[in-house]
Amino acid sequence: MLDSFRSSILYDVLKLTSTLLLVFMLTAPATAGPGPPKRPDFPQGVSTTNPGNDLWREVRQRDLPVTGTSQVKGVDSGVLINVEGDRWARFRIDNPVRHAPTLLVAVVLVLLAFYVLRGKVGIEGGLSGRMVFRFTDYERSLHWCLAIVFLFLAITGLILLLGRTLMIPLFGHHLFSLIASASKEGHNLFGPIFLVSLLLMLVSFARRNIYEKGDLTWLLKGGGIVGKGHVSGGFFNMGEKSWYWLVILVGLAISISGLILVFPNFGQGRVIMMVSNVVHVFGAIVLIAVSIGHMYLGSIGTEGSSEGMKSGYVDINWAEAHHDRWAKTCHENDEILSAEEFARLQGNPIDSGDATTGAAND
Amino acid sequence: MARMKFYCDAERCVECNACVTACKNEHDIPWGVNRRRVVTIKDGEQGERSLSVACMHCSDAPCAMVCPVDCFYTTSDGIVLHDKDICIGCGYCFYACPFGAPQFPESAAFSSRGKMDKCTFCAGGPEDDNSSQETTKYGRNRLAEGKLPLCAEMCSTKALLAGDADVLSSIYRKRVINRGASAFNWGVNFNNSKIQG
Repeated sequence: MLDSFRSSILYDVLKLTSTLLLVFMLTAPATAGPGPPKRPDFPQGVSTTNPGNDLWREVRQRDLPVTGTSQVKGVDSGVLINVEGDRWARFRIDNPVRHAPTLLVAVVLVLLAFYVLRGKVGIEGGLSGRMVFRFTDYERSLHWCLAIVFLFLAITGLILLLGRTLMIPLFGHHLFSLIASASKEGHNLFGPIFLVSLLLMLVSFARRNIYEKGDLTWLLKGGGIVGKGHVSGGFFNMGEKSWYWLVILVGLAISISGLILVFPNFGQGRVIMMVSNVVHVFGAIVLIAVSIGHMYLGSIGTEGSSEGMKSGYVDINWAEAHHDRWAKTCHENDEILSAEEFARLQGNPIDSGDATTGAAND
Repeated sequence: MARMKFYCDAERCVECNACVTACKNEHDIPWGVNRRRVVTIKDGEQGERSLSVACMHCSDAPCAMVCPVDCFYTTSDGIVLHDKDICIGCGYCFYACPFGAPQFPESAAFSSRGKMDKCTFCAGGPEDDNSSQETTKYGRNRLAEGKLPLCAEMCSTKALLAGDADVLSSIYRKRVINRGASAFNWGVNFNNSKIQG
């Protein structure tokens, strides 16, 4: 099990992340400023009545227009009271900030429990070593481009959402400000790249992800995760199609709300910004939560499934187990490569007769 | 200990915008950023009223609650200030603020937000009082010199008041008694009120 873990993508990703983190932690303190800002012991929450209280209450509660005119030209400069702001701020803290960590940790724990109880979903008869072509170089590049940009945006976004509660106690205000500032700039810079990758994804994969006959059966059988045997599927099975459309639709919602938030120069008001923020945060958390499941199934969760996105070729037994209708057409079109042919294509011909192991290792 | 507050008397404000100009000049604030603004409702109609609005230095400030980097702090005078070394210019305080006080200078390409700027009650920032750093980032620190905010100090109709909440309250109370009604009770004024405070 350890060996298969070591050879998985997840292991590579973990290794890279931990190395980067270590480098960052070693170099970051040198650039940090002086200690935390001076915070005098003002009795927080003790309020003295503002003489303007009555006036402002009347501005809010009287039947008067709270929007007027101002010589100062700016977004919402004529608005006397922004009623929604406080509600948005409390909503943000009571919902995403409070519950997102719990949700994400819960997803990881459920997958961990599943892995311990059920183990890797194997293929009947194991890997054959005979491969069939599945994804072109372009498709794989696109997938990994979207994946890497998504991961970057997810991490920087979570830093901005949860950093105040989780990271300031660890790093202090000045160092965290540096991290958060870098996260914000990076997030704003890579956001549009996510949208471009997403649109290319839509163009390249949409046709193969249209739902078809048999997909409902897949859903009713729980995708074969629960119970025995594999469930029928085409080039993409029902679960993959649903993940694809979730990425496209929620991804578009996140991208559009993100563009509204990142370009304040078009003069959109605060209410639109707040709604966009809520859409952005909720969409992102849903996508991050489900993406953890996708990463699990694509790496340690299912035997042979990472191959398609690594070399572009998949084992024919894997194809028959998860995408039998597609595998059938491959058989019909005689597209299956022997282990020797595949190894030669990959540029490392096999000397020994042990073809199966040679081909199974990337 | 004082609890600093602003109060703008809608019965007195004549929308001269001198507070806005004074603030911009005193703190050398760039174009596009206005720490204070005057809002007029029912402009040109009967019942027209104007209010000068800036940061109200809330006791339980929504900006401080929502800030993702926790850059706000309250001084011993109850003034809500922020640390520009910590601010990342995300704009959340602008969404949350009831009064629209936080302002963002455009920085670099695509008009992305620079570090937030807002009314400091003429009390500067976390740096040493009236140090060159503080002046560059936050403008002058009049409070450290024993002066009140310039906008209120130079208000010609004394509509805008700044200072300890208790003092402001007593001034306001006298005015209200003289008018015989609350500041928003249109049409009732000094002349036809019965009580003299």
